[in-house]
Amino acid sequence: MMGAWRTTVVVVCVLAATSGCSLVGQPDVAAWDEQAHQAVTDATSEVATARLAVQTARDERVWSSYTLVLVADAEKAMGTVQDDTSRLQVPPGRDRDAKDLATLLDDAAAAVQDARQHAVEGRYDDPALLDVLDRAEDRLARAGSRW
Amino acid sequence: MKRYLNVLLGVLTAIGGFVDIGDLVTNAQVGARFGLSLVWVVVLGVVGICVFAEMSGRIAAVSGRATFDLVRERLGPRMGFLNLVGSMLVTLLTFIAEIGGVALALQLVSSVNHVLLVPFVAAAVWIVLWRAKFSAIENVLGLLGLTLIGFAVALWQLGPDWGELASTLSPAEKPAAESWATYAFFGVALFGAAMTPYEVFFFSSGGVEERWTRKDIGVMRANVFIGFPLGGLLSVAIAGCATVVLMPQGIAVETLGQVGLPVAVALGKVGLAVVVLGFFAATFGAACETGLSTGYSLAQYFGFQWGKYVRPRDAAGFHVILLVMTVLAAGVLLTGVDPIMVTEISVVFSAVALPLTYFPILVVANDPDYLGEHCNGRFANLLGVGYLMVITVAAVAAIPLIVITSMGQG
Repeated sequence: MMGAWRTTVVVVCVLAATSGCSLVGQPDVAAWDEQAHQAVTDATSEVATARLAVQTARDERVWSSYTLVLVADAEKAMGTVQDDTSRLQVPPGRDRDAKDLATLLDDAAAAVQDARQHAVEGRYDDPALLDVLDRAEDRLARAGSRW
Repeated sequence: MKRYLNVLLGVLTAIGGFVDIGDLVTNAQVGARFGLSLVWVVVLGVVGICVFAEMSGRIAAVSGRATFDLVRERLGPRMGFLNLVGSMLVTLLTFIAEIGGVALALQLVSSVNHVLLVPFVAAAVWIVLWRAKFSAIENVLGLLGLTLIGFAVALWQLGPDWGELASTLSPAEKPAAESWATYAFFGVALFGAAMTPYEVFFFSSGGVEERWTRKDIGVMRANVFIGFPLGGLLSVAIAGCATVVLMPQGIAVETLGQVGLPVAVALGKVGLAVVVLGFFAATFGAACETGLSTGYSLAQYFGFQWGKYVRPRDAAGFHVILLVMTVLAAGVLLTGVDPIMVTEISVVFSAVALPLTYFPILVVANDPDYLGEHCNGRFANLLGVGYLMVITVAAVAAIPLIVITSMGQG
């Protein structure tokens, strides 16, 4: 009888430990900074990919379906970065930073989406497109040192 | 003359067939993040695969039997089963990644979503495995894979400062923003990609398919010792292109399209088309090799007729395995899983399975009952034992590194 109780207690303890049944911790400022930095790094990569794809297409060094796949993949990856960031629990006193980060990522995503729309239409000669991507890259580069 | 042509063909197909989706993706990822500071791992991996491929080729040429066949007989069913499970899981993962890689390569020219292409690719792979001759699979796809030389041409055309590029070869040149744990993770992944287990099983079973004898040991060694290192140079060229074009722009490689982008920058549409043909040939060829390897491994372990040198009706079990594995691979990809993620997982778990694959080969290669005078010499054993130690370290480190770095994220 005691053996059965002991087994039950051990099983409950193991289940509790492995199912996350523990105290919910306060959001960690350092961890949030690290994840914000990672999000900016990932977004920079996607914007730079879209920019290089558009520039290469503009120079007629790549065919349209290749460019379209590249920018569509970049757009999809940007969406993942935004989703992951939006799920982060913001530490106390960092609401402003979180809002800035969300705005930054929204702008970067809009720039990549713009590139994808141009790629679908096969229009790479619009000088404004590269400007938009360059500005998004510049803002991300500046933000990279913030977190 | 015919002998020299055979050597040349063997070397060329060994070069063209060396690179697969794991090498393409991992080398580009590493080049874009770490420059050339991990090239030493490629060198280490290429020497390692040469050491063990030569042993398994020699076993096939002398005994007329393939590796799994002898591992089970020499080390018993329990060790053989461990070897089978470890290498089969990794080979199946690699098979899935290769079929996904073919679909991704076709997506780049058609812009049709790769998931929609998977059933057609899987059907094409199965038809080739069922109908095509072994030599045709090896030679045609191996030679087409040579088009990946486009990466070397692109690197030369990009005109980097060679002195500066060479200076990044040292591990000390690791970018400061990257941690040593991430560096080690990608080192293990590169090592796993270079030494992936299916290569030796395919190589030794291929030797039996082509009816190698002792007379073919010289040709086999030329294929291994010339073809594989030159294939390794293609891997370095892929990393070099990513270092020169993608790294300065902060682009992390997550798609096959990004792998080819530096070639477009350097060579334009024609160069890119040549390299995308190489993507197709390398992944399709490796899909056939990994598919066949799953059939070889199971059939050799359970002791039923296998191979493409017999009629399909005489090796029905072998062909049923090929069909089931192809359907399974396609089914996994149809769930929408990212083939690049499968590739990343397969190369790291390849490192985990390495000791299970290579230790038995070393044991069999030392058995005079099978190899007689062609047993391993001192030098081969020195290299073999040395590599087993390296392989064990990589295998033990792989899973902790996956956890610590979140699959190389940082």
